[in-house]
Amino acid sequence: MLFRNPSIPYKRLGSPKIIIYSGGDLLEKDLQQNEPIILLKDMVIGYSKEEPLVQIPNLKIYPGEIVAIVGPSGVGKSTLMKTIAGLVKPISGYAQVCGKIIPESPLRGKLGYIPQDLGLVKHASVIHNVMLGANAGHNKSIIPFIPIILPSLKAKEEATKSIISMGLKEKMYEPIKRLSGGQQRRVATARTLAQAPELIMADEFLSELDEETIAMVIGEVIEYIKISNAALLVVEHDIARARIMADRLLVIDDGRINPFITEITAMEVEV
Amino acid sequence: MKNDDVVEVSLFDWRYFYPVLFIFIFLFTIIIFNGMINDWGRLSNGIGVFRTFLSEDVLPPDWTVLEPLTYPVCTVEPRILDFTCSRAWIGMIETLKIAFVATVFGTILSLPISLLAARNLNTTEVSYIARFVLASFRSFPSLIWGIFFVILVGIGPTAGVLAMTVYTVGYLGKLQYEAIEGMSKSPLEASEVMGLTKLETAFQVVLPESANDLISQIIFMFEYNFRHGTVIGLVGAGGIGLYIDTAIKYLEYDRVIAYLIIIFIVVLIMDFISIKIRSLFTEEVGHSRPKWREVFFPAWMIKR
Repeated sequence: MLFRNPSIPYKRLGSPKIIIYSGGDLLEKDLQQNEPIILLKDMVIGYSKEEPLVQIPNLKIYPGEIVAIVGPSGVGKSTLMKTIAGLVKPISGYAQVCGKIIPESPLRGKLGYIPQDLGLVKHASVIHNVMLGANAGHNKSIIPFIPIILPSLKAKEEATKSIISMGLKEKMYEPIKRLSGGQQRRVATARTLAQAPELIMADEFLSELDEETIAMVIGEVIEYIKISNAALLVVEHDIARARIMADRLLVIDDGRINPFITEITAMEVEV
Repeated sequence: MKNDDVVEVSLFDWRYFYPVLFIFIFLFTIIIFNGMINDWGRLSNGIGVFRTFLSEDVLPPDWTVLEPLTYPVCTVEPRILDFTCSRAWIGMIETLKIAFVATVFGTILSLPISLLAARNLNTTEVSYIARFVLASFRSFPSLIWGIFFVILVGIGPTAGVLAMTVYTVGYLGKLQYEAIEGMSKSPLEASEVMGLTKLETAFQVVLPESANDLISQIIFMFEYNFRHGTVIGLVGAGGIGLYIDTAIKYLEYDRVIAYLIIIFIVVLIMDFISIKIRSLFTEEVGHSRPKWREVFFPAWMIKR
C-alpha cells in the first residue's frame, strides 16, 4: 500500500461521496477566486460525430488542484486529455485552457504533457530529452534558431535539477533506449518538471514503477504543484492510487458501472 | 431455443482462387510478350552469337587497363603501386569522388525538402509542394540528367556531380520523408503541447529520433550513386564510364570486359562495407556496438 508523504501539506476537500459533476461549486472559496486553468462547457469529445465518447457539461480546474480522471478502459480518458492538450479536435463545446480558447494553443511552455507512451526521443540522451522541456519553459526566444544555438543557463540548471530530483543523476548522458521502463517514465516526468508548466497532464505516468519510486515521483510532482500553484490532471487506472493523490476524481462512466446513468457523461467524486 | 451463437461454417475461401489468378497473370504476360516478338528464331540464334562474341572479341580481358599511362609519366614510388596511374584506377577514383560529392550535396539539399515533405510535420499543402519538387527531380534517371548537364557545362566530372546531385535529392528526399513519417507520433505530440517551435521540433526531436534511418539511407545512397557513377560516364559525365565509352567506340571489347570485371569487384567490396556500416545504425544491435575494425577485417583476422 502506498502512502502520501505527510510532510507535504495539501487540503482534503470534504468526506468521500459520489455526485454527478456540477462544476467547481463545491470547492472552497479561495480556489474559486482564481481564474480556472481549465474551463470546459458543454463539451462533446470523440473522434467522430456519430460516436461521441464523453460529454462534459461543466468542468473547472483551478491552480493548485490535483484531479484524477478514472474510468473503465476504452471510455475516452486519454481522448479527453488529448482534447484538452489541443491534439484532438472536440466535436462541439467551449474549452479554455491556460487562458486560451481551443483551437488556439496556449503559450509556449504553459502546458506539460506526458503521453501514455511518454513521447521521449529514444535515441537521444536523458539530458537532451529533459532539455526539450526546459527550453520550452525557460528559453523563450522569439527568433526560432536562437534556442538551438544558444541554450540558456537557466534551462540547463532546471533540467539538471529535475533529473537529480528524479534520481537519474548517473544516467544523465545515457540514451533513453538503454533505460528500463520505469526509468523512462521518470525521464518524462523530469522533462515536464523542468518545463515548470502551469498545467501538467499525465497519462498513466505511474505505471511500471515500484512502490518506493512511486512515492518519490508523486512526492516531487505534488511538491511542485503546491509550491508553484500549478494544476495536475492525471489519468489513472488504479483508483486507490488516484484517491491518495488527487483532490478530486473525475469519473467517466459509460453506464456499465453505474446503472443509474444512461447517458455517457462525466461525474465528479470527491475524496 | 436461441440460435444466436451458432455461426455457419463454410469451406468456401477466396484464397483458393489465388493460384488461378497467378496462372492467369502469367498467361496474360506471355500473350503480351508474344505480341512484341516478330521472330522467335532470334532467341535461339542469340546463343551462337554470344559464343562467337565471347571467344573472338571479349576473352581474354585486356588487363593493360591496369598498367600506367605513358603520359603523364608515373612518378609513384615504390613501383608496385604504379597501377595507381592506370586508366582503370583513375576512372574508379573519379567515380568514387563524384559519388561522394554528389551524395553530400544531395543530402544537404534533400534534408530540408524532406522535412517539409513529411506530412506529420507540415500541412498537406506544404508537403504536396515539397513532394512535387522531389518527384520532379526523381522522374528522370541520373543518365538523363547527365545528358542535360553535359549539354550545359560540357563533358567531365562536373556534369556528373550535378546530375547525380539532382537525382540524389529526389531519391534520398523520398526515402527520408518516409523515414520521418514512420517515426513514432508521441514525441511530436509532446513537443507540440510543450509549445516548441517547428524548427526546434525538426532539429531536436525529428532528426535525433530518425537519425539511424537517415544515416543508413545516406550510406545506401552513396553506394547507389557509386554504381550509377559507372554508367553515367557513358554520356560523358566523367568517371570510369568515360573510359568504357571510349573503348566501346573503338570496338575494344576485351578492354571493356576488363573494366566491367574491375567495376564488379569494387561494387562488391563497396556493398559489403556499406552493409556492415549500415548494420551499426540499424536498431537494437545490443549494448555493444561492433568495432570499426570489425567492419574492415573479417572476424578470424581480429581474433588472433
